[in-house]
Amino acid sequence: MSPLKKCFNVRNRDFIHAGEASIAVQQLLKQMHVDPVLIRRIAVCGYEGEMNMVMHGEGGLYCVEIHSGKIILDLSDNGPGIPDIAKAMEKGFSTASDEFREMGFGAGMGLPNMDKNADDMFIESEKGCGTKVQMVFMVK
Amino acid sequence: MVSEYLSFVEKYCTGCTHCVRACPTKSIRIRNNKAVFSDELCIGCGECIRVCPEGAISSSLSTIEPFTKDKLNAVIVSPVLYAQFPSFMPGDVLLGLKHMGFDHAIDLSYYIEMYQYAVEEFVLANRESRNAPGPLISPICPVTIRLIALNYPNLIDHIIPLRSPSALVGDKIRKKLSHAHGVPEKDIKLYHITPCHSKVFPDQSKLMDELNYVDHALGINKIFPELLAKMEQVKKDELPLFPNEHFSFIPSSRGPLWGMSGGEIAGMRIDKVIAVSGIKEIMAYLDKIEMGLFSDMEYIEFRACTEGCLGGPLTAVDRYMAKSTVQKFIKMFGLERRLPRQKIRQFYDKGWFFSKLKSSELVSINKLKRKPLSINDMKEIEKLVSLIQGNECAACGAPDCRAFAEDVIRGEVDLKNCFKMSNIK
Repeated sequence: MSPLKKCFNVRNRDFIHAGEASIAVQQLLKQMHVDPVLIRRIAVCGYEGEMNMVMHGEGGLYCVEIHSGKIILDLSDNGPGIPDIAKAMEKGFSTASDEFREMGFGAGMGLPNMDKNADDMFIESEKGCGTKVQMVFMVK
Repeated sequence: MVSEYLSFVEKYCTGCTHCVRACPTKSIRIRNNKAVFSDELCIGCGECIRVCPEGAISSSLSTIEPFTKDKLNAVIVSPVLYAQFPSFMPGDVLLGLKHMGFDHAIDLSYYIEMYQYAVEEFVLANRESRNAPGPLISPICPVTIRLIALNYPNLIDHIIPLRSPSALVGDKIRKKLSHAHGVPEKDIKLYHITPCHSKVFPDQSKLMDELNYVDHALGINKIFPELLAKMEQVKKDELPLFPNEHFSFIPSSRGPLWGMSGGEIAGMRIDKVIAVSGIKEIMAYLDKIEMGLFSDMEYIEFRACTEGCLGGPLTAVDRYMAKSTVQKFIKMFGLERRLPRQKIRQFYDKGWFFSKLKSSELVSINKLKRKPLSINDMKEIEKLVSLIQGNECAACGAPDCRAFAEDVIRGEVDLKNCFKMSNIK
């Protein structure tokens, strides 16, 4: 059976609508009666990823694929890319500007949090070519 | 009754879709030009009551009955009632109620203070233990609790398991009255006058243990005219005063303040508190809490009605006018607390404040029977939505195009009900 695929545009620095893609995904999953604990993990990951796209990634495409045994979040942004992925994965490491810190972001917990909540996570990034993050969640 | 909380007079309904669009859980549809309600999705928020231009939808709260049948009764007064009368004092209101035929009129201020202490104790203890996840959520607003049980089961553990002030007072007062009058507890009728049309119903009662304590809930708007008339009579000395009695307690401004958004958390000894009112705002916050935001907040007061309980659907005066009256009371009485912390601490340690309800039972209140949608159903819905390319006109009787597509896939309605689709084969 082919999966359900749905994509959302995430706009650069659009804080008013930031989080809406994650909320829409949450609602889809609730209608399908996916396990609430899994929904929450996906919501946390989705939101962190979406905020990264809004703040660092200059916007991009937020896609969800719902298979019968797994759910995949595919986030690809148009940003400057991550020069050192291992460094970015460290807890507390952040490149957020003072402006974003003032808004309550930039604790350097985004990627580590995503990694913790997803069953599998892959990051592809090259300087100047944007970043692709894929998160996989297994459905029991 | 079309849901536990709503009465509906079908002949008044014009099929206008106001209620369909207003419902936060999308539980209403127009079928054959009449509103159709889905009981299992109704959280009793009352948004449909507010927007219905024909007055076809109303609260299903019991109407006022003659009290003469009661051997002994008492009425627990929501402090929102005081805010309905700008030219009377809270004491006048209690007096007027007794002239209406209530044996005792009980003020809630003391119990509100006690409840606030209990919340502080709980939050402070949780700071150390982290037994409950942050942010903690107020258990007071029944609509919020139902919304969480229905759509945000992940957040049930965030709700503080304390009983509401009216449940606390109901528990105490029945025993006290029975003792003082020598009447068996079961023969004492307890009424609750409230701005909230969805309080004290079976499921709600389960949430906050109110069932055992209150027998009847009355809307403020139902008793307002008669109460006002009695109060006017007292003012003109046509009716006597009653001697003070220790059951009724003395109102303070803590009571009226409680009805305002932010009134529950006002002056609490907790740093990171926030008050949110309005059902749409609450849903936005719950979405965000579910995504991991606000975990540094300690306590959130949610009120489904905009501006808090002063904006309840069963109030008699406008919420902003009522707010102005509350401000007047605060100026007159101040915001001092009257109860010694030590004493309440003893009650708290004995577990008196705690609801006996377990969070697993709250999940079971979520009685949703709608069958889950499969991946294929979802794909069909997506296809339909892009086929319709509608502009959410609601002419089909569903609140939006996606909800309509879902209804079609569930086999509840024909695609031709969409006027954009009616010409397509």
